[in-house]
Amino acid sequence: MLIIAKIALGFGATLAAGGVYVFHEGVINVDVDEFRPGGSHVHVWVPATAVSLGMRVVPRHHLEHAASQVQPFLPVLREIAKELKRYPNAKFVEVKDATDYVFIGTVDGKIRIDAVSDNETVHLRIPVETVEDVADRLEADAPTI
Amino acid sequence: MNRISRGVVTSVACAAFAAVSFAPISLAQSTSGSSSTAKEQWIHVRVESTEDKGETVRVNVPVEMAEKVLPAINKDNLRNGKVHIDSAHMDDVDFRALLDAVRTSKDGEYVTVQSRENDVRVAKNNGYLYVYVTEKPSAKSTAKSETGKPNSAKVSKVEVKVPMKVVDALFSAGKDELDIVAALRALSANGDTELVNVKDSENTVRVWIDSRNVAD
Repeated sequence: MLIIAKIALGFGATLAAGGVYVFHEGVINVDVDEFRPGGSHVHVWVPATAVSLGMRVVPRHHLEHAASQVQPFLPVLREIAKELKRYPNAKFVEVKDATDYVFIGTVDGKIRIDAVSDNETVHLRIPVETVEDVADRLEADAPTI
Repeated sequence: MNRISRGVVTSVACAAFAAVSFAPISLAQSTSGSSSTAKEQWIHVRVESTEDKGETVRVNVPVEMAEKVLPAINKDNLRNGKVHIDSAHMDDVDFRALLDAVRTSKDGEYVTVQSRENDVRVAKNNGYLYVYVTEKPSAKSTAKSETGKPNSAKVSKVEVKVPMKVVDALFSAGKDELDIVAALRALSANGDTELVNVKDSENTVRVWIDSRNVAD
């Protein structure tokens, strides 16, 4: 009986530790809803750690190809990510009219992009850390001149 | 009893581990949050339109962020935070001499143009360069006015106020270049300033700089 309890305890502790690690970088959240017949409804919650880990296991040549394509924008992306960390709660752009609403800013250290209209809504949340990680990783794999 | 106490200890240990693991994130956030509350300048743009849908646009950008990000953008005429101007457009006018002349001159109104369509005034006062443009209603719409007086609702006014230090910084790069980053630094050092104000019957545009991180 005691051995089962110990195993359960070990399993529980490992699960808790794993959970803490997986979610310690936050969660990427993408919600897209199209309000028309046959319109798509996409709701994705992905631990940001999965992106960081994923970029480490993707075959190097694929990453190099992606890096070479976005190379001109990487310095800007990295600089923006670095600066955004200093503004964890900020409104950068807000556009409103009678039917549409667009918001670009940061909330609790996450980049928040909202676009709401009569036809569709898009909500995006990405931890700033993830953007910086991706930019760093791609820059490391970008072909040098 | 022993088993229960061991379970409690393990639970507490797990909770402590979780708290310690999350702590760096929350600490980092609170530290970075406090850094953004320090006295730093933000550029605000606000556009309000009363047309059809009544659109409102608000843009808030930290000056420091713009200073850091701009040099990383190298596209077309923008390189290292400087905008290259085609020399063909600069050859006819010596902007440096012109600027120097304005800087050393006494305060006053330098240009006044009055016409049927527009009134334009350029002046210097207390280290600021002012440009006022008043666009009058067209002759056609004035003629339609019932009272016979100029239709004031259609008048559009543009007011631009730029610190001379910012203008100096803007032209501080090479002959054919505008140093945007230097201008931003000068703007930031200048403190709270209303830069651009445009008003007409349907739209209001304001560009200003202050230490608040949200537009009012």
